[in-house]
Amino acid sequence: MGGAVTAVGLAGCSGSGGGSERDYFKLGAVTSLSGDLRFGGEVTQRGYDLWADTLNEQQGGIEVGGETYEVQIEYADAQSNPSAGADAASQMINAGADAVLGPYSSNVTLAVCPIMEQNSMPHITGSAESPQIWEQGFEYSFGTIPTVSIIGNEAATALLNLDPQPESVYITAVNEPFSVATGEAMRAAAEAAGITVENYEEFPRNTDYTNVVSAAQDADPDLHFHGGHIGSHVNLVNAAEQLGYTPDGFLMHYGVNTGSFKDGAGTQAPHSFGATVWIPSVERSGGVLFGSPGAYAEAATAAYDSAPDYTQAGSTAAGIVFQEAFKELGAAPPLSQDDKDELIGILEEIEVSTFYGDVAFETSGDYYHNNVNTQTLLVQLGTDGAPSIVGPEESATTEATYPAPAWADR
Amino acid sequence: MVDIGLFTQIVINGLLLGGIYVTIGVGFSLAFGVLEVVDFAVGEYVMVGAFAGAILAPLFGAEGIFVIPVVLVGFFALGALVQPFIHHVTTGDRPHPLLMGLVFTFGLATFLRGSVLTIFGPNNRDVPSSLLTGGVSVSGIGTFPVVRTVTAVFGVSALVVFMYYLYRTKGGMAIRAIAEDRTNARLMGININRYQSIAYGAYAALTGSAGVFIGMTFTANPGMGLQYTAFAFFMVVLAGMGYLPGVILAGVVLGLTQSFTAVYVSGNLVLLVLFAIIYLVLLVSPAGILGKGEWAT
Repeated sequence: MGGAVTAVGLAGCSGSGGGSERDYFKLGAVTSLSGDLRFGGEVTQRGYDLWADTLNEQQGGIEVGGETYEVQIEYADAQSNPSAGADAASQMINAGADAVLGPYSSNVTLAVCPIMEQNSMPHITGSAESPQIWEQGFEYSFGTIPTVSIIGNEAATALLNLDPQPESVYITAVNEPFSVATGEAMRAAAEAAGITVENYEEFPRNTDYTNVVSAAQDADPDLHFHGGHIGSHVNLVNAAEQLGYTPDGFLMHYGVNTGSFKDGAGTQAPHSFGATVWIPSVERSGGVLFGSPGAYAEAATAAYDSAPDYTQAGSTAAGIVFQEAFKELGAAPPLSQDDKDELIGILEEIEVSTFYGDVAFETSGDYYHNNVNTQTLLVQLGTDGAPSIVGPEESATTEATYPAPAWADR
Repeated sequence: MVDIGLFTQIVINGLLLGGIYVTIGVGFSLAFGVLEVVDFAVGEYVMVGAFAGAILAPLFGAEGIFVIPVVLVGFFALGALVQPFIHHVTTGDRPHPLLMGLVFTFGLATFLRGSVLTIFGPNNRDVPSSLLTGGVSVSGIGTFPVVRTVTAVFGVSALVVFMYYLYRTKGGMAIRAIAEDRTNARLMGININRYQSIAYGAYAALTGSAGVFIGMTFTANPGMGLQYTAFAFFMVVLAGMGYLPGVILAGVVLGLTQSFTAVYVSGNLVLLVLFAIIYLVLLVSPAGILGKGEWAT
């Protein structure tokens, strides 16, 4: 993994700027290498490193004007908090990065984007999902993972189309920006489909779910949608099992197909529905650098001894998009400010076919500069803990176990 | 119109949630009452207990409840090991002993959380238990989740055992004497260090065991401790600092308030209502709901 250079704690180092000689592309990466989010930060780091290393090993780097330039990534630690993330972003800009790969988590990304804007620095994040990032219309920031407003809505729509079609749904969300956006997206999907929304309720993060479940049980919905993080999903299904609450299905975004959900919910995990945009078994066109999702998963597993998730895949895709944009720009490193400004125009127009899916960025509206092209997948955990794609219909590889069996029958 | 079925279920949920809080509050109240230590690590003992359940249960036929005796012994030893350090930083010529204890246990909490995060990673871990799954439905009343019911019974039983020990045995009398006046207790020939180690060990054992139950009820996660630290503080404020019998009432008040607010007012307002109650008690009755806590004297 020689292409990546970790440069933690270099605040105050002098910048090489855009004018000095350099025979490689220098990418700054801001992600959490310490603190509570460091494990998520490590996932993004793996995604970025795998891109750079594979590119350098297979192609020698990026070819521009007949010359091939290696890619090197320098990391700055966001320390799992937004203000440190903003400092880390400034650090990468001062270090003379040609472009910046973005942090893990939406909160840190929201702090990094204004710094990129003030310094006119091209920035692609491979993990943030909050719609708030794109609603603010940052000109210099892009994201490869579709916002949760899209993923939540499309996954809910796919589930609502299963047979027998549900008539009612109960929706809960943890009261935090990401989860509320998810819950609202799910509600919009249900309302658009003409399904009765029995209730939409928000709760604090550490609520006791027996009360949520009792109220839902009283409403007796066909489906239960939940917006939250993995811990809340685990608590919801555990409370449902304890109280014998069995709607025809639970839909939860995000993380149902992660080890944390499977290990946390134990025997309660199977049959849960979840939303994602990528799993190794999905059929995607492949294209640049990695031939297929399976090939990417194989390379990632060989490099890190761990199967990749969609955050890692989205991070690698962010690197691939930069790689194609640099080629199209045709400027040798280091990039001047004019080059960087031109790069933004190229990113707005670019369409890249990758193992992750087709990536193209919105150029107007609420999803400004977010990639909304990668298709959402509705997955369901099997009794072996493995996720299967059960929707939308054109992507499904397995028929859903729907309605889900009662707890006693599992 | 109130749905009676939902109403009774909310009462059950609230009482059993209170039972979970009782399992944490008993030890915490004991530690404060006897050692005069406000232990910031209480939630992290819960977290480590939950992880102990997740890691050890597979060795005991995948039944978390069978891990309890091991955790009781292991955490008692851990507590007895930690207590001399707490004693060291809260006695002698050091100024602000209460603050010293807080700082020490805050550091301990950070160490425990960081250690678990580093060793086991950030993921959730299930504490398996096929014996305590599902719920028992009682016609016309509601469903009693088995694991929560057993947890509540454990908490109340632990309280009764501690009360018996404190008020019906010589060891308990020694501990109460220490709580009353350390200097006089020492003059009476009581081995202060020994009994404080027993008290802190018992607190750690009970809190670690509560962690196993909480892991079976919810899940084990390295970040779970802080909320239980907060609820332990809520418990002793409502019960009255160091007043053990008040713990049950405090658990019931916290559990029922949380449940009824979530269902009949708004899930978003649960913490606001809880904090309002805590502040009200602090203002009106700082010695707890029953007025028998340490601050009353």
